[in-house]
Amino acid sequence: METFDYLLLGFSTALTGANLVYCLIGVTLGEIIGVLPGLGPVAGTALLLPLTYSLEPVSAIIMLSGIYYGSMYGGTITSVLINTPGESASLITCFDGYPLAKQGRAGAALGIASIGSFIGGIFSILGLALIGPTLANQALKFGPPEFFALVFLGLSLLIGLMGKSLVKGLIGALFGLALSFVGLDISSGVARFAFGNTNLVSGFNFVTLAMGMFGMSELLQNAENKLVSNAENPPKVKGLFPRRDEWIPCLKACGRGSVLGFFLGLIPGTTASISTILSYSLEKKLAKDPSRFGKGALEGVAGPETANNAFCGGALVPLLTLGIPTSPVITILLGAFIMHGVTPGPSLFQNDPKLVWGIIASMFIGNAMLLIMNLPMANLWAKITLVPFRLLFPIIFVIMVVGTYSLNNNMFDVGAMIVFGLIGYFLKKTDFPLAPIILTFVLGELMEKTLIQSLVMFEGNLLLFFKRPISATILVIAIVIITWSVITSLKNKRLNLEDSEI
Amino acid sequence: MKNLGVYVGYFFLLIGSVLFWESKSMSYYSQYGPGPGMMPLWTSIFLIAFSLVYLLVNSKKDIYQISEVLPKGKGLVNILVSIGSCILFMIVAPYAGFVIGCTLMLFLLLIRGYKWYWSLGLALVITIVVYVIFVILLQVPLPVNDFGW
Repeated sequence: METFDYLLLGFSTALTGANLVYCLIGVTLGEIIGVLPGLGPVAGTALLLPLTYSLEPVSAIIMLSGIYYGSMYGGTITSVLINTPGESASLITCFDGYPLAKQGRAGAALGIASIGSFIGGIFSILGLALIGPTLANQALKFGPPEFFALVFLGLSLLIGLMGKSLVKGLIGALFGLALSFVGLDISSGVARFAFGNTNLVSGFNFVTLAMGMFGMSELLQNAENKLVSNAENPPKVKGLFPRRDEWIPCLKACGRGSVLGFFLGLIPGTTASISTILSYSLEKKLAKDPSRFGKGALEGVAGPETANNAFCGGALVPLLTLGIPTSPVITILLGAFIMHGVTPGPSLFQNDPKLVWGIIASMFIGNAMLLIMNLPMANLWAKITLVPFRLLFPIIFVIMVVGTYSLNNNMFDVGAMIVFGLIGYFLKKTDFPLAPIILTFVLGELMEKTLIQSLVMFEGNLLLFFKRPISATILVIAIVIITWSVITSLKNKRLNLEDSEI
Repeated sequence: MKNLGVYVGYFFLLIGSVLFWESKSMSYYSQYGPGPGMMPLWTSIFLIAFSLVYLLVNSKKDIYQISEVLPKGKGLVNILVSIGSCILFMIVAPYAGFVIGCTLMLFLLLIRGYKWYWSLGLALVITIVVYVIFVILLQVPLPVNDFGW
């Protein structure tokens, strides 16, 4: 009942004229980012952070969350119509979506993808509304050792699962941590690694790093060969619903995708792409005739599309309740929260229910907006792919430069963004995962603070982490993950899940 | 050495070494608990260790030939122009103002895909739109010249 009251409070916040407009802007921009190949939700969200500087925190987060889940809807359109995923989570949709389009059934594929996305989105938001407050209440009992253990677990899962090599993931994480040390030390007030430069005393800004590593590096990679090429003309979309006999299998696929996506979202280190891959495999295994998959099976579109949207809501649970981001795009959202003076974590549900429930309610509204926008307007969205990259590139570039400059009104941040962009570009070329860098950079301060507080509590005895049941359990899980990851790396049987969500 | 991975490994080794050197000058433990040098010191030790592991493994099997992974010809020029135009903006904008600096940067980016007059026109239009959005609508201060733009 309490949840219902809070949800009503959330709707009263989300339904104000201004927040409705920001939600609409967010989902529309997200849809555009999703449609544009080569610009993923991480780079897109980082890129659009500057647009929220002057907004109220709740409006800013509503808009940025809209960009995040909106991009999941948009990515489907290009996957189905031109066989090019707008973002990596929609790659699986190409397998059956494009063959369906070739059979003249693009409308049915897009229709079921939109309906599935809506079902997945709503299911995960309900899950978030139900699980979130309970988890946050439990987390209120956590002390610094438990939080340190949680951050450590998140990092081990991310490093353990992502990238082609464990060593590369570890190096990336340590590099991100090193960058987070630059500036004033929170406990002693000592300026670290500033080398006498006044700009470095305040440390690197999160936006500078995110824009450079994700935005700039991606643009540079695209600039290598895309300035002259144009997308092919998308086919016309007719008829937006599946046939009568296809509804039940498709809705079952949506149900399975919702559960799978939501629970995968709760696990640190996973990405929306993983949820789509698993959902597709599951649908293929459960199908009466698996040979249809890859040739135009509608369940092959319904399941993964539902799973990637359910993942978005699931991934917000650890962020809002524990303050721990689970995937790269959620890390950007965490940075946005901090930038706007909001610290996600267990006390957020208690201290700022208007904000947190406002965001949850806005996601219901945003998903409904996306459903309405997607079904009749698929043709229009597909036309965006016709905008030549040679025009898009300078526009994105200038937004990045202006956005970075406006952080502190000096050119130092622009210069730092270029340097991080080049570092990101070379790291991508050598298959270094970028997600651990940004994650440790964002969590570095919390990690150091909680470790120092814990060590003061334990009088320097690290073993006392294992005397507290919660921190001990979490740390043991983290150690098991790292050990498993080391063994699989040594045996060359490592899961090859790149940080493709970028 | 034509393996890009080796250079990346040396880069991290350098970062780790600088971190180690600098963190040695900070206090490791104070009377109140861990000092500002503790975390950086351990981070640097691990960074140096893993960079060395990477360099040893990398030189044998993880090969990224520079000639294969880095662009050549037009692709390389595109990247150099992008970086160059951004640096030019950083130099010009504080003196000549945002409008001139941004138009110049955009012109350099657009000229590779459009005729010069189209590039100039588009650069000017995009600059004005960005100026209106950021300065007038979002009230974000941008560098200005003596005329206020």
